[in-house]
Amino acid sequence: MVLEATMICIDNSEWMRNGDYAPSRFQAQADAVNLICGAKTQSNPENTVGVLTMAGKGVRVLVTPTSDLGKILACMHGLEIGGEMNLAAGIQVAQLALKHRQNKKQQQRIIVFAGSPVMHDKKALEVIGKKLKKNSVALDIVNFGEDDEGKTEKLEALLAAVNNNDTSHIVHVPAGPNALSDVLISTPIFTGDGEGGSGFAASAAAAAAGGVSGFEFGVDPNLDPELALALRVSMEEERARQEAAAKKAAEEASEQDATMTEHASEGPSGADNKKNEIPDDDNTLLQQALAMSVDEPASTQDLQDTEMSDAAAEDPDLALALQLSVQESTKDSSSEADMSKLLADQSFVSSILASLPGVDPNDPSVKEMLASMQNQSESQQKQDEDKAPEKKEEKEEKEEK
Amino acid sequence: MSAAESATSIQKNQVDLLDFIDWSGLECLNQSSSHSLSNALKQGYREDEGLNLESDADEQLLIYIPFTQVIKLHSIVVTGSEEEGPKTVKLFANREHMGFSNVSDFPPSDTAVLSPDNLKGKPVVLKYVKFQNVRSLTIFIEDNQSSSEITKVQKIALYGSTVETTDMKGLKKIEDH
Repeated sequence: MVLEATMICIDNSEWMRNGDYAPSRFQAQADAVNLICGAKTQSNPENTVGVLTMAGKGVRVLVTPTSDLGKILACMHGLEIGGEMNLAAGIQVAQLALKHRQNKKQQQRIIVFAGSPVMHDKKALEVIGKKLKKNSVALDIVNFGEDDEGKTEKLEALLAAVNNNDTSHIVHVPAGPNALSDVLISTPIFTGDGEGGSGFAASAAAAAAGGVSGFEFGVDPNLDPELALALRVSMEEERARQEAAAKKAAEEASEQDATMTEHASEGPSGADNKKNEIPDDDNTLLQQALAMSVDEPASTQDLQDTEMSDAAAEDPDLALALQLSVQESTKDSSSEADMSKLLADQSFVSSILASLPGVDPNDPSVKEMLASMQNQSESQQKQDEDKAPEKKEEKEEKEEK
Repeated sequence: MSAAESATSIQKNQVDLLDFIDWSGLECLNQSSSHSLSNALKQGYREDEGLNLESDADEQLLIYIPFTQVIKLHSIVVTGSEEEGPKTVKLFANREHMGFSNVSDFPPSDTAVLSPDNLKGKPVVLKYVKFQNVRSLTIFIEDNQSSSEITKVQKIALYGSTVETTDMKGLKKIEDH
């Protein structure tokens, strides 16, 4: 939101005919200029932007600093390529144009597109840089196109002479598949000295990079913190719900799968998922307490898993394995009892724990937990046994009817 | 005229114009970011010998001071070190937004060449007639005592008086007949 007057210096020399930046260097430059103008005017409506060309017959100011975007876009039409770029003269004319800006309160900034080789020597550039610094003019340099010896060095020296408190920047854009404008969008030239990205830049980045913006969910947390927060919370809730569903499916999966490893992955990974989704929440404990009092086997199962997760180390690979195993398994319930039997098998459990990194089965707390689990599984087995005859009775009743 | 006498002549009817400076409009070109104008102007900072206003890219400084009301400027005090303190100081009254390029475009309202005495605190009496109606003051420090790369200014104090201004609270509405 800095109030700024900007002069953009365009390189329209012969070197811009080259096609190493699609579609041509000059076209890529023009696109970048358009984007910059848009970004500047959007970040502060009182900002002004002007354009001048450095090559051709000589340095020519196309439009003096104005906030009228249409004027700027119009002047970019019909520009001819030719001649050699005169960097020093270009910068000095830009400085003069800025000096005569209408609103003296605006900060002064020059953006230079340096695509062709730099003729001037380092000393001359440094003198120019110092003069800019003295008059508190910031300078942004876009180094693209030709890369002859010393060009980068000269431009870096120029930047060092101008730079005052990091208000000036240089960006090197190598030729490649990415458009010049796309590369520039993520640079401080666009985002403006660490303001956190203007809305224009963020949306342009999202559009250009095909939805892959620098910000999570494509929303700038600086711009719209509530929206970003809401998105993040709903994402986490969805993830938790999905994990709960996955875990339930895993519980109902059959233990009749031959491979022990699958069980091994299911058990602790189910626990891990549980841990991932509800990490030590008061809510969770309350839910579990309620569930226990209601005496559902599923919830005691959860309790076992939670206890196990307390001891288990976090292992994303196991979680992944669980996901895969869930997709594979198609078996039905009645495996709950089997599951608890499996967990009751202390040797099996300790072998799982031993395989988990960071868990020492000889640890007293682990042993305690195992003992409690065993007791619980025993009680659960009793419950199951009680329930089994109940179910049998129901079935018989139905059959009779 | 001893230093004490000139000091008292200031205090007779002149005040320190510190209270009338419009701090929001202060500008200083070519100052170093760590040693800024407030080190030389603000009460307390300007007395501190460790805090100076320093120039950055070269030895010149261009200071713009607007006032909250119209004042008459009588004299200024500029202190600094013997070598790096300012030498030639040009003052421009009521010129807004000057740059280094147009300091030579029009003649200054007054020019002062500072002696070592001045740098210790002796006030420079200005051409009072030129500063009768001052809304803003531009101070151009052209060079320093030893022509070194950096100019260091420890204190800038302005002495003068205010022009009679209307006290808005005293205005009373005339009853309509």
